[in-house]
Amino acid sequence: MRRLTALFGGGGGLIGAILVMLIVADGLAAPWIAPYDPLAVDMTASLVEPGPNHLFGTDQAGRDVLSRVIWGGRASLEVSTLAVVIGCTGGVALGLLAGFFNGGWLEQLLMRVLDAMAAIPLLIWAIALVGILGVGPFTIAGITFGNEVKLLSLLGVLYIPTLARITYACALAESRANYVGARRLQGVGSLRIMISDVLPNCLSPVIVQATLLLAIGIIIEASVSFVGLGVQPPQPSWGNMLADARNYLFSGEWWLSVFPGAAISLSVVAFNLLGDGLRDALDPRHTAQALTA
Amino acid sequence: MLGLLLRRAGFSLLSLVLVTSCLFVLTRAIPDSPGRIVLGTDVTQLQLTQFEHDHGLDRPVVVQYGDWVRGLILHGNLGTSFITGRPVGPDIAATLPVTLELVVVAFVFSCALSVLAGTLSALLRDTVLDYGVRLIAVLGVSVPGFWLALVLIMALAVDRDWFPPGGVEPWSAGVSEHLDSIVLPTFCLAIFYMAVLSRMTRSSMLEVLGQDYMRTARATGIAPWRVLIYALRNALVPVVTVAGMSFGYMFGWALIIESVFNISGLSRALLTAIQQRDFVLVQGVVMVFTFIFILANLVADLTNAWLNPRIAAVRA
Repeated sequence: MRRLTALFGGGGGLIGAILVMLIVADGLAAPWIAPYDPLAVDMTASLVEPGPNHLFGTDQAGRDVLSRVIWGGRASLEVSTLAVVIGCTGGVALGLLAGFFNGGWLEQLLMRVLDAMAAIPLLIWAIALVGILGVGPFTIAGITFGNEVKLLSLLGVLYIPTLARITYACALAESRANYVGARRLQGVGSLRIMISDVLPNCLSPVIVQATLLLAIGIIIEASVSFVGLGVQPPQPSWGNMLADARNYLFSGEWWLSVFPGAAISLSVVAFNLLGDGLRDALDPRHTAQALTA
Repeated sequence: MLGLLLRRAGFSLLSLVLVTSCLFVLTRAIPDSPGRIVLGTDVTQLQLTQFEHDHGLDRPVVVQYGDWVRGLILHGNLGTSFITGRPVGPDIAATLPVTLELVVVAFVFSCALSVLAGTLSALLRDTVLDYGVRLIAVLGVSVPGFWLALVLIMALAVDRDWFPPGGVEPWSAGVSEHLDSIVLPTFCLAIFYMAVLSRMTRSSMLEVLGQDYMRTARATGIAPWRVLIYALRNALVPVVTVAGMSFGYMFGWALIIESVFNISGLSRALLTAIQQRDFVLVQGVVMVFTFIFILANLVADLTNAWLNPRIAAVRA
């Protein structure tokens, strides 16, 4: 148990890890654990208060709020996870190249482009670009993607500078380490050293940052869906459920806004706790940054 | 200092050019021609070509961008909307003050309170106050502002009558009415950054307080408040950097908060523009925000150079 706690950097980290596992399991198992179909409309049971049949009540179309919260979590995790995957792939690749092959034009070029990308206010660009592209589904090579794919790709691209800068700082330091010189003397090629020796040594701060970005991603997805530019109704997401709930602020249907919002907060707390814990455990020098977006 | 200023300003300008040209290309790259949006879906190809020719859309993007930059610098023109046919600048200028007020008030409050709370929390480490500040910091970054807004509207504006549930009363409606109406939106906007900044202040302050030069300063018998000033000058550097970024980011969240409170600020302009597919206006709004964002980062850099002259020496 103590080892487990140490792995996640203390009690808070462990609680975060457990919560994150529960949330992920909940998202993956949505089709089996949701008590109702999240899209099933039942006008006879519209706006039912929380009770034994509907633990979280029902919304204006009689859809079960609990089931929609569960499925909404799936959408939220999908967007934030895939965005982080895109951001990590791009950021680590660029940061590693710039840091490992430092002192040349490649470093200068990559870092200047990344600096310019960091001059982009994330949320506004996400809102505006999804707005410009339009919120409909789109088709590439015969596969139709929902609107959320636009959002997550954009977020992923906008995450790149943060992650690249962390990887860069680490790769720069590592590239001057003795073991890199030793590997060179063994006749190992630069690319190979970069990928099989330097990269693993630079992953810790990236993992920490990625966890914190997951938390931000959940809030951004919810916010963008809230203004109608993220996950499109009737598909449930925490953000668009809250957008619907806005119409019932004055009539007392509190469960419509309380449960999806609590779900967002709980998930964000979970990822933040895990991220903070991992930072204490993996990144004692705190290269990963406190985040704002 | 001047060298640093010029260098940073030059770099900010370069970022601005790169980022705006990127946005410009993106708004021009949409598959839907603006002509089809303005004239309807059943236009003939001839009308479409005519429209694009009239508005200069058939020229290369680089030429269009150059034109746009020239218009901006010479006439302060952010572009002319295809939908309304008017320059978008005045439309943005008309809605910006409301948003700006919310953001500035929220920013000032979150900076002042978080520096205070973070410093006290670091000085009184492991006391009830410290735990309280840390708890609020974790909650503040986790509770999305727009949800907090919904809950607060239900609790304080609908159930009780403490604050108006939405909208911003103009100053002309009375000072207290105006202030009442901006309390909830600014609070919801500020809480996230208050949490982030107080956490940063706390950890940065703890790090500085543990340094040898702090012990030396105390040992020389300088008054405690002066030691604290020295500590703050060093500890605030990372906080100022993040605060500078936060100011720009706040405009993004202000959009969401405004939409919850039905405030007719820039968010309404932007969301309406998106609905009408008025890309020139969208582009204009985003340009203004990006400009503010870059400017705020520049100001943060210079503030840091003033707080800690070593930074100016190293970077110049």
